[in-house]
Amino acid sequence: MSMEAAGEVAQRGLIVMGWPFICLALSKATPLLLGALGGILCELSGVINFALEGMMLAGAFGAMWATFVFQSPWMGILGGIGGGMVIAGLHAIACLNLRANQIVSSIALNLLAAGTTGMLLNQVFKVYGTSPTVKRLPELGQFLSATFPDFGVWMVPFLGSLSILGPAALILGLAMLGFFKWATWGLHIRACGENPLAAEAAGISVGRTRFFAVLMSGSLAGLGGAYLAVGELSQFVEHITQGRGYLAIAALILGRWKPLGVLWATLLFGLSDAASESLAVQWSGMPNQFFLALPYLVCFAALMLRLGKNHPPSALGKL
Amino acid sequence: MKRPLPRLPAPIEKSLLSLCLLLPALAVGILCCILLSLLCGAQPFDVVVTIWNGAWGSKASAATSLAKVTPLLLTGLAVALAYQGNLLNIGCEGQLTLGALSAASFAVMAAPLPWPVLMPLTLLIGALIGGLWALPPVLLRQRGGVHEVISTLLLNYLAIYLAEYLVLGPLGDGTAMGRTPQIPPGAALAPLLHFGVQGITAAPFVALFFCLSAQIWVSKTVWGYEVMATGSNIIAARSAGIGVERWQRRIFVLSGALAGLAGALEVVAVHHRFYRAFSPGYGFDGITAAFLVNGTPGWLWLSSLLLASLRAADKWLQLMIGISPNAILLIQAILLLCVACQWRLPARWRKGVSS
Repeated sequence: MSMEAAGEVAQRGLIVMGWPFICLALSKATPLLLGALGGILCELSGVINFALEGMMLAGAFGAMWATFVFQSPWMGILGGIGGGMVIAGLHAIACLNLRANQIVSSIALNLLAAGTTGMLLNQVFKVYGTSPTVKRLPELGQFLSATFPDFGVWMVPFLGSLSILGPAALILGLAMLGFFKWATWGLHIRACGENPLAAEAAGISVGRTRFFAVLMSGSLAGLGGAYLAVGELSQFVEHITQGRGYLAIAALILGRWKPLGVLWATLLFGLSDAASESLAVQWSGMPNQFFLALPYLVCFAALMLRLGKNHPPSALGKL
Repeated sequence: MKRPLPRLPAPIEKSLLSLCLLLPALAVGILCCILLSLLCGAQPFDVVVTIWNGAWGSKASAATSLAKVTPLLLTGLAVALAYQGNLLNIGCEGQLTLGALSAASFAVMAAPLPWPVLMPLTLLIGALIGGLWALPPVLLRQRGGVHEVISTLLLNYLAIYLAEYLVLGPLGDGTAMGRTPQIPPGAALAPLLHFGVQGITAAPFVALFFCLSAQIWVSKTVWGYEVMATGSNIIAARSAGIGVERWQRRIFVLSGALAGLAGALEVVAVHHRFYRAFSPGYGFDGITAAFLVNGTPGWLWLSSLLLASLRAADKWLQLMIGISPNAILLIQAILLLCVACQWRLPARWRKGVSS
């Protein structure tokens, strides 16, 4: 490669690594982070949750529906949480009350979410594939300048197109760090995942704690889905999650079931997603499929290169 | 004095277990169909009748449904065999896609070979690539503790994008259609019976043969016993001197190979070429097919027939009563959930699906 070409590549790299790029990466990481936080909550309580994909999908649909009905994206957030919790409730009943295999139940619920959202889209809105456009959540810059006029306006150019759910997800992640470290409930949940018999002996109701954890997990994943439908886009598209629920689980494994680790892992995936999006424009010689596959490739490579052993909760998947 | 219920001989009881799981689920599934038709404002049995007529109503549709059974039998067998070794292969979709692509490309490149060589080699190449695609997940599971569900799922996406790139570029037929050239007639399976439009090829019977021989392999041979022991209690199996890790690797690669074979057979028997978005979700349906019968290879024909009828009928639902084809996914999910929750079973049968 000649010097000029090398210089050009470096220059392109700098453009790619600019501030808007970081904002893009953050907004790509948001749904993954929300989903993965949900996954932590569920798996630390000892229940396997591969149904994150279905929960996010149901959340996205619920968010779009609620926004459509109430004409307010804030109601959409509630709708998203509700949608995620419906699937989570089914998962909890199937796994905890009816003793189903947790992985099979997850697979069934992913199917259920895909089928039901597609069907409802057809029966309720009489359309295929894409829902009517609904209102979006405000971007962070807009939101700040509306609430704090003198201070917020100054922030707008820095925040770019970051949705308000982006920082909310970061805060939730930090809150979860504290929750599992200091809150009694957090310790109860971890006890249920590590040693349910000991937890039962210590007077914790394992069934109830796990039920609560699974439901909360659904609400977080549903929030992630809501971000996709009314934060990033302003409509619901069939299979809108595109495997983000599975990427969230990969982030969970990569982050070793710890909130901070998951934060870094989702940021890595967000960066690779953003990179594939901006590189697809600049390196137009490369086949398009390469960029589409890049986030999954990075995820797989990260799983392969991961150093050391991981420690999943000891009682994960056992009843 | 209460007399205990009469017990059937153990082998018969064991083989009937899967049926006992499936039948109540079927009842619930039919109930859901009735509810669905009522919700959508049709007559109560409309959905069931439409599915039946759409799948088996005419000669043409029966032939189509039967053709759909082949990939379901093989991907179902792939999932079921991996499950015997306590592994879950969710990656059949990717393995099937790559198996189909490699089989189609090989058949095109090796066209001059005589057909008795070409045909088996084509199928073998498909199986080989499918098996190779299943190797990294099981190694990751054993070396790094990454659950194979996640790695196989990620590999699905990679496989589908890879196949799309290859078929639009180097392996395509030069048009922008995203397909390979047609395979030579020597590699294509001719229909045995001229029935309906397509006719019936040997493919479903080959797949059925694989399933039945797998059943015998699992229940009657030492190797099958070792695999089952690995799956049911890995620690006990290891202490008994069974090479647990080796068996897990072998069974998972075999599972991938079966999925690849499913793709290759689909090319050879039905489409005669590979094209973009080749699999309409056969890999994922295989999971449902396997778990509907509790991972018993010998009963797979039942669940595959069921799923194939659902698949074949989905467009008819839209045409006849205006219900979205997605209803099929919903019915599948409900069937699977019912089978997974085995609350209706007497206590001594409550094993198998639940880990």
